[in-house]
Amino acid sequence: MATQGDSLRESAVFNLSGAITMVVDDSPFSLTLTAGALAGFGIRPAFTVGRGAEARRILQEKPVDLLLVDTDMPDIDGFELVRWLRRSGPNPNAFTPVIMTASHIRRGRVTEARDCGANFVVTKPFSAAMLLERILWVARDSRPFLEVGDYLGPDRRFRHDDYDGEERRADMIRKKTMEFA
Amino acid sequence: MTVITHVQRKSRLAEMVDRPGGVSVGVALAQAKANLDGLKDQALAIISENIGALLAHPTPDIPEALRLDSAYAASSQVIDAASPFALDDLCTAAKGLCDLLDAAPRQGGFDWRIATVHAQAMKLLLSLTPDAPGTAEARIAIMANLSEVLKRKLPMSPQSPA
Repeated sequence: MATQGDSLRESAVFNLSGAITMVVDDSPFSLTLTAGALAGFGIRPAFTVGRGAEARRILQEKPVDLLLVDTDMPDIDGFELVRWLRRSGPNPNAFTPVIMTASHIRRGRVTEARDCGANFVVTKPFSAAMLLERILWVARDSRPFLEVGDYLGPDRRFRHDDYDGEERRADMIRKKTMEFA
Repeated sequence: MTVITHVQRKSRLAEMVDRPGGVSVGVALAQAKANLDGLKDQALAIISENIGALLAHPTPDIPEALRLDSAYAASSQVIDAASPFALDDLCTAAKGLCDLLDAAPRQGGFDWRIATVHAQAMKLLLSLTPDAPGTAEARIAIMANLSEVLKRKLPMSPQSPA
Protein backbone atom coordinates (compact mmCIF):
# COMPACT_ATOMS: atom_id res chain seq x y z
CA MET A 1 0.00 0.00 0.00
CA ALA A 2 1.27 3.40 -0.80
CA THR A 3 2.04 5.50 2.18
CA GLN A 4 1.58 9.22 2.06
CA GLY A 5 2.78 10.27 -1.35
CA ASP A 6 5.99 12.22 -1.49
CA SER A 7 4.20 14.83 -3.53
CA LEU A 8 1.74 15.61 -0.72
CA ARG A 9 3.20 18.25 1.53
CA GLU A 10 1.61 18.18 5.00
CA SER A 11 1.31 21.94 5.31
CA ALA A 12 -0.22 22.46 1.87
CA VAL A 13 -3.79 23.72 2.14
CA PHE A 14 -6.70 22.88 -0.11
CA ASN A 15 -10.38 23.69 0.02
CA LEU A 16 -12.91 21.24 -1.34
CA SER A 17 -15.55 21.80 1.31
CA GLY A 18 -17.96 23.07 -1.33
CA ALA A 19 -17.43 20.20 -3.76
CA ILE A 20 -20.65 18.42 -4.64
CA THR A 21 -19.38 14.87 -4.55
CA MET A 22 -21.02 11.61 -5.53
CA VAL A 23 -19.75 8.19 -4.44
CA VAL A 24 -21.16 5.16 -6.25
CA ASP A 25 -20.47 1.67 -4.90
CA ASP A 26 -22.71 -1.36 -4.53
CA SER A 27 -20.95 -2.33 -1.29
CA PRO A 28 -22.48 -0.37 1.62
CA PHE A 29 -19.29 -0.80 3.67
CA SER A 30 -17.09 0.52 0.85
CA LEU A 31 -19.40 3.53 0.62
CA THR A 32 -18.94 4.09 4.35
CA LEU A 33 -15.14 3.78 4.07
CA THR A 34 -14.92 6.22 1.16
CA ALA A 35 -17.32 8.68 2.80
CA GLY A 36 -15.25 8.46 6.01
CA ALA A 37 -12.03 9.30 4.19
CA LEU A 38 -13.70 12.13 2.27
CA ALA A 39 -15.17 13.59 5.46
CA GLY A 40 -11.63 13.73 6.81
CA PHE A 41 -10.64 15.77 3.77
CA GLY A 42 -13.47 18.20 4.47
CA ILE A 43 -15.65 16.80 1.68
CA ARG A 44 -19.17 15.78 2.65
CA PRO A 45 -20.48 13.58 -0.14
CA ALA A 46 -23.80 14.96 -1.32
CA PHE A 47 -24.76 11.62 -2.86
CA THR A 48 -23.79 8.12 -1.75
CA VAL A 49 -25.40 5.73 -4.18
CA GLY A 50 -25.45 1.94 -4.38
CA ARG A 51 -26.73 1.49 -7.93
CA GLY A 52 -25.45 2.73 -11.26
CA ALA A 53 -28.97 3.42 -12.50
CA GLU A 54 -29.72 5.72 -9.58
CA ALA A 55 -26.40 7.50 -10.08
CA ARG A 56 -27.29 8.08 -13.73
CA ARG A 57 -30.65 9.56 -12.79
CA ILE A 58 -29.05 12.00 -10.34
CA LEU A 59 -26.28 12.92 -12.78
CA GLN A 60 -28.95 13.91 -15.30
CA GLU A 61 -30.63 16.23 -12.82
CA LYS A 62 -28.08 17.64 -10.38
CA PRO A 63 -24.65 19.21 -10.80
CA VAL A 64 -21.80 17.06 -9.48
CA ASP A 65 -18.22 18.35 -9.10
CA LEU A 66 -16.45 15.06 -8.35
CA LEU A 67 -17.49 11.48 -8.98
CA LEU A 68 -15.94 8.45 -7.31
CA VAL A 69 -17.28 5.24 -8.77
CA ASP A 70 -16.62 1.55 -8.23
CA THR A 71 -15.93 -0.47 -11.35
CA ASP A 72 -17.74 -3.69 -10.47
CA MET A 73 -21.46 -3.24 -9.85
CA PRO A 74 -24.64 -5.04 -10.84
CA ASP A 75 -26.99 -3.41 -13.36
CA ILE A 76 -24.93 -0.50 -14.71
CA ASP A 77 -21.28 -0.98 -13.79
CA GLY A 78 -18.74 1.80 -13.32
CA PHE A 79 -17.33 1.58 -16.84
CA GLU A 80 -20.75 1.84 -18.43
CA LEU A 81 -21.75 4.71 -16.15
CA VAL A 82 -18.66 6.77 -17.00
CA ARG A 83 -18.93 5.99 -20.71
CA TRP A 84 -22.54 7.18 -20.63
CA LEU A 85 -21.59 10.28 -18.61
CA ARG A 86 -18.91 11.37 -21.07
CA ARG A 87 -21.38 11.15 -23.92
CA SER A 88 -24.25 12.77 -22.01
CA GLY A 89 -23.55 16.28 -23.27
CA PRO A 90 -24.93 18.95 -23.15
CA ASN A 91 -25.23 17.67 -19.57
CA PRO A 92 -22.68 19.86 -17.71
CA ASN A 93 -21.60 16.79 -15.72
CA ALA A 94 -20.18 15.25 -18.91
CA PHE A 95 -16.77 16.76 -18.06
CA THR A 96 -16.92 16.10 -14.31
CA PRO A 97 -13.66 14.70 -12.90
CA VAL A 98 -14.07 10.96 -12.31
CA ILE A 99 -11.97 8.66 -10.16
CA MET A 100 -12.75 4.97 -10.57
CA THR A 101 -11.90 2.57 -7.79
CA ALA A 102 -11.46 -1.15 -8.28
CA SER A 103 -10.71 -4.02 -5.93
CA HIS A 104 -9.75 -6.13 -8.95
CA ILE A 105 -10.17 -5.67 -12.67
CA ARG A 106 -10.97 -8.79 -14.66
CA ARG A 107 -8.52 -9.46 -17.48
CA GLY A 108 -11.22 -9.07 -20.08
CA ARG A 109 -12.09 -5.60 -18.81
CA VAL A 110 -8.69 -3.92 -18.69
CA THR A 111 -9.31 -2.25 -22.04
CA GLU A 112 -12.67 -0.94 -20.82
CA ALA A 113 -10.93 0.53 -17.80
CA ARG A 114 -8.53 2.37 -20.08
CA ASP A 115 -11.17 3.49 -22.54
CA CYS A 116 -14.20 4.43 -20.44
CA GLY A 117 -13.16 8.07 -20.05
CA ALA A 118 -12.35 8.27 -16.34
CA ASN A 119 -9.64 10.69 -15.25
CA PHE A 120 -8.05 8.03 -13.09
CA VAL A 121 -8.53 4.38 -12.24
CA VAL A 122 -7.20 3.43 -8.82
CA THR A 123 -6.84 -0.20 -7.84
CA LYS A 124 -7.04 -1.23 -4.20
CA PRO A 125 -5.39 -1.34 -1.78
CA PHE A 126 -5.00 2.40 -1.51
CA SER A 127 -4.47 4.59 1.51
CA ALA A 128 -6.34 7.75 2.42
CA ALA A 129 -3.20 9.66 1.39
CA MET A 130 -3.27 8.14 -2.07
CA LEU A 131 -6.96 8.93 -2.44
CA LEU A 132 -6.35 12.55 -1.45
CA GLU A 133 -3.42 12.77 -3.83
CA ARG A 134 -5.59 11.53 -6.70
CA ILE A 135 -8.43 13.92 -5.83
CA LEU A 136 -6.05 16.88 -5.82
CA TRP A 137 -4.53 15.61 -9.03
CA VAL A 138 -7.86 15.44 -10.86
CA ALA A 139 -8.82 18.85 -9.43
CA ARG A 140 -5.77 20.25 -11.22
CA ASP A 141 -6.01 18.01 -14.25
CA SER A 142 -5.93 20.38 -17.21
CA ARG A 143 -5.84 17.78 -19.97
CA PRO A 144 -8.26 18.52 -22.79
CA PHE A 145 -11.04 16.07 -23.60
CA LEU A 146 -10.53 14.14 -26.79
CA GLU A 147 -12.96 12.27 -28.96
CA VAL A 148 -11.11 9.57 -30.88
CA GLY A 149 -13.14 6.75 -32.39
CA ASP A 150 -15.19 5.30 -29.52
CA TYR A 151 -13.18 7.11 -26.87
CA LEU A 152 -14.37 10.32 -25.26
CA GLY A 153 -12.51 11.50 -22.19
CA PRO A 154 -9.35 13.19 -20.95
CA ASP A 155 -6.33 12.97 -23.21
CA ARG A 156 -4.70 9.67 -22.19
CA ARG A 157 -1.22 10.78 -23.19
CA PHE A 158 0.91 11.90 -20.29
CA ARG A 159 4.10 13.83 -20.91
CA HIS A 160 6.60 13.82 -18.11
CA ASP A 161 9.53 15.33 -20.01
CA ASP A 162 11.05 18.26 -18.20
CA TYR A 163 11.23 21.47 -20.14
CA ASP A 164 14.75 22.85 -20.27
CA GLY A 165 13.90 26.50 -20.71
CA GLU A 166 12.33 29.00 -18.35
CA GLU A 167 9.02 27.62 -17.04
CA ARG A 168 6.27 30.12 -17.86
CA ARG A 169 3.22 27.86 -17.78
CA ALA A 170 1.06 28.96 -14.82
CA ASP A 171 -0.20 25.49 -14.00
CA MET A 172 3.30 24.03 -14.01
CA ILE A 173 4.62 26.82 -11.79
CA ARG A 174 1.73 26.30 -9.39
CA LYS A 175 2.28 22.55 -9.32
CA LYS A 176 5.94 23.02 -8.46
CA THR A 177 5.10 25.60 -5.81
CA MET A 178 2.41 23.49 -4.21
CA GLU A 179 4.43 20.27 -4.55
CA PHE A 180 1.35 18.37 -5.65
CA ALA A 181 0.92 16.06 -8.58
CA MET B 1 -8.40 8.71 -37.39
CA THR B 2 -10.28 11.91 -36.67
CA VAL B 3 -9.53 13.50 -33.31
CA ILE B 4 -11.95 16.05 -31.90
CA THR B 5 -10.61 18.16 -29.07
CA HIS B 6 -13.16 19.49 -26.60
CA VAL B 7 -11.78 22.56 -24.89
CA GLN B 8 -13.67 22.62 -21.64
CA ARG B 9 -13.62 25.46 -19.19
CA LYS B 10 -12.00 24.96 -15.82
CA SER B 11 -13.98 22.53 -13.66
CA ARG B 12 -15.68 23.77 -10.51
CA LEU B 13 -13.37 21.48 -8.58
CA ALA B 14 -10.36 23.28 -10.07
CA GLU B 15 -11.88 26.65 -9.23
CA MET B 16 -12.55 25.83 -5.59
CA VAL B 17 -9.42 23.88 -4.62
CA ASP B 18 -7.28 26.98 -4.04
CA ARG B 19 -9.99 29.12 -2.44
CA PRO B 20 -9.26 30.63 0.97
CA GLY B 21 -10.04 28.42 3.96
CA GLY B 22 -10.01 24.68 3.77
CA VAL B 23 -7.73 22.29 5.53
CA SER B 24 -4.06 21.30 5.42
CA VAL B 25 -3.02 17.95 4.00
CA GLY B 26 -1.66 16.89 7.40
CA VAL B 27 -4.90 17.66 9.21
CA ALA B 28 -7.01 16.10 6.44
CA LEU B 29 -5.07 12.84 6.61
CA ALA B 30 -5.21 12.76 10.41
CA GLN B 31 -8.98 13.28 10.30
CA ALA B 32 -9.41 10.62 7.62
CA LYS B 33 -7.31 8.18 9.65
CA ALA B 34 -9.42 8.82 12.76
CA ASN B 35 -12.61 8.24 10.77
CA LEU B 36 -11.28 5.04 9.21
CA ASP B 37 -9.85 3.71 12.48
CA GLY B 38 -13.38 3.78 13.85
CA LEU B 39 -14.41 1.35 11.11
CA LYS B 40 -11.57 -1.13 11.50
CA ASP B 41 -13.42 -3.64 13.70
CA GLN B 42 -16.27 -3.72 11.22
CA ALA B 43 -13.79 -4.24 8.39
CA LEU B 44 -12.14 -7.15 10.18
CA ALA B 45 -15.54 -8.75 10.76
CA ILE B 46 -16.38 -8.44 7.05
CA ILE B 47 -13.01 -9.91 6.09
CA SER B 48 -13.54 -12.88 8.42
CA GLU B 49 -17.05 -13.40 7.12
CA ASN B 50 -15.85 -13.54 3.51
CA ILE B 51 -12.94 -15.84 4.31
CA GLY B 52 -15.52 -18.05 6.02
CA ALA B 53 -17.61 -18.02 2.85
CA LEU B 54 -14.58 -19.09 0.82
CA LEU B 55 -13.91 -21.97 3.21
CA ALA B 56 -17.52 -23.13 3.43
CA HIS B 57 -18.65 -26.22 1.59
CA PRO B 58 -20.53 -25.25 -1.55
CA THR B 59 -24.23 -25.87 -2.01
CA PRO B 60 -24.61 -29.18 -3.86
CA ASP B 61 -25.27 -28.88 -7.59
CA ILE B 62 -24.41 -25.19 -7.72
CA PRO B 63 -23.43 -24.29 -11.31
CA GLU B 64 -19.68 -23.77 -11.69
CA ALA B 65 -20.04 -20.25 -13.11
CA LEU B 66 -22.15 -19.17 -10.14
CA ARG B 67 -19.68 -20.73 -7.71
CA LEU B 68 -16.81 -18.90 -9.41
CA ASP B 69 -18.69 -15.60 -9.27
CA SER B 70 -19.57 -16.05 -5.59
CA ALA B 71 -15.96 -16.82 -4.67
CA TYR B 72 -14.75 -13.89 -6.79
CA ALA B 73 -17.19 -11.58 -4.99
CA ALA B 74 -16.06 -12.83 -1.56
CA SER B 75 -12.42 -12.34 -2.45
CA SER B 76 -13.13 -8.84 -3.84
CA GLN B 77 -14.93 -7.93 -0.63
CA VAL B 78 -11.85 -8.95 1.34
CA ILE B 79 -9.83 -6.46 -0.74
CA ASP B 80 -12.49 -3.75 -0.30
CA ALA B 81 -12.58 -4.09 3.47
CA ALA B 82 -8.82 -4.53 3.95
CA SER B 83 -7.79 -1.75 1.56
CA PRO B 84 -7.55 1.28 3.89
CA PHE B 85 -5.95 -0.59 6.81
CA ALA B 86 -2.48 -1.44 5.45
CA LEU B 87 -3.36 -5.15 5.31
CA ASP B 88 -1.31 -5.44 2.14
CA ASP B 89 -0.48 -9.15 2.34
CA LEU B 90 -4.13 -9.97 2.79
CA CYS B 91 -5.01 -7.84 -0.23
CA THR B 92 -2.29 -9.49 -2.32
CA ALA B 93 -3.56 -12.95 -1.38
CA ALA B 94 -7.16 -11.99 -2.22
CA LYS B 95 -6.05 -10.35 -5.46
CA GLY B 96 -4.19 -13.52 -6.46
CA LEU B 97 -7.33 -15.56 -5.84
CA CYS B 98 -9.38 -13.11 -7.92
CA ASP B 99 -6.87 -13.54 -10.76
CA LEU B 100 -7.16 -17.32 -10.57
CA LEU B 101 -10.96 -17.32 -10.40
CA ASP B 102 -11.16 -14.85 -13.26
CA ALA B 103 -8.98 -17.09 -15.41
CA ALA B 104 -10.86 -20.29 -14.49
CA PRO B 105 -12.95 -22.04 -17.17
CA ARG B 106 -16.63 -21.16 -16.64
CA GLN B 107 -17.81 -24.62 -17.65
CA GLY B 108 -15.88 -26.38 -14.89
CA GLY B 109 -12.50 -27.84 -14.12
CA PHE B 110 -11.21 -25.29 -11.62
CA ASP B 111 -9.19 -26.89 -8.87
CA TRP B 112 -11.10 -25.62 -5.84
CA ARG B 113 -8.31 -26.67 -3.49
CA ILE B 114 -6.54 -23.51 -4.71
CA ALA B 115 -9.35 -21.34 -3.33
CA THR B 116 -9.21 -23.23 -0.03
CA VAL B 117 -5.44 -22.75 0.21
CA HIS B 118 -5.81 -19.02 -0.42
CA ALA B 119 -8.63 -18.67 2.11
CA GLN B 120 -6.64 -20.58 4.74
CA ALA B 121 -3.63 -18.37 4.03
CA MET B 122 -5.79 -15.25 4.42
CA LYS B 123 -7.15 -16.57 7.70
CA LEU B 124 -3.61 -17.19 8.94
CA LEU B 125 -2.40 -13.76 7.81
CA LEU B 126 -5.29 -12.16 9.66
CA SER B 127 -4.47 -14.06 12.85
CA LEU B 128 -0.77 -13.17 12.96
CA THR B 129 0.07 -10.65 15.66
CA PRO B 130 2.05 -7.85 13.99
CA ASP B 131 4.89 -7.52 16.49
CA ALA B 132 5.14 -11.11 17.70
CA PRO B 133 8.44 -12.91 17.09
CA GLY B 134 8.45 -14.89 13.87
CA THR B 135 5.49 -13.02 12.37
CA ALA B 136 7.49 -11.37 9.61
CA GLU B 137 9.08 -14.68 8.60
CA ALA B 138 5.70 -16.40 8.65
CA ARG B 139 4.21 -13.70 6.41
CA ILE B 140 7.09 -13.97 3.97
CA ALA B 141 6.71 -17.77 3.83
CA ILE B 142 2.94 -17.60 3.28
CA MET B 143 3.25 -15.02 0.55
CA ALA B 144 6.05 -16.93 -1.16
CA ASN B 145 3.89 -20.07 -1.22
CA LEU B 146 0.90 -18.21 -2.63
CA SER B 147 3.10 -16.58 -5.24
CA GLU B 148 4.33 -20.04 -6.25
CA VAL B 149 0.74 -21.30 -6.57
CA LEU B 150 -0.11 -18.30 -8.73
CA LYS B 151 2.93 -18.83 -10.92
CA ARG B 152 2.07 -22.48 -11.49
CA LYS B 153 -1.65 -22.11 -11.97
CA LEU B 154 -1.74 -18.82 -13.83
CA PRO B 155 1.01 -19.09 -16.42
CA MET B 156 1.58 -16.44 -19.08
CA SER B 157 -0.30 -13.85 -17.10
CA PRO B 158 1.20 -11.33 -14.72
CA GLN B 159 -0.68 -10.56 -11.52
CA SER B 160 -3.08 -7.68 -11.86
CA PRO B 161 -1.66 -4.26 -11.05
CA ALA B 162 -1.58 -3.34 -7.37
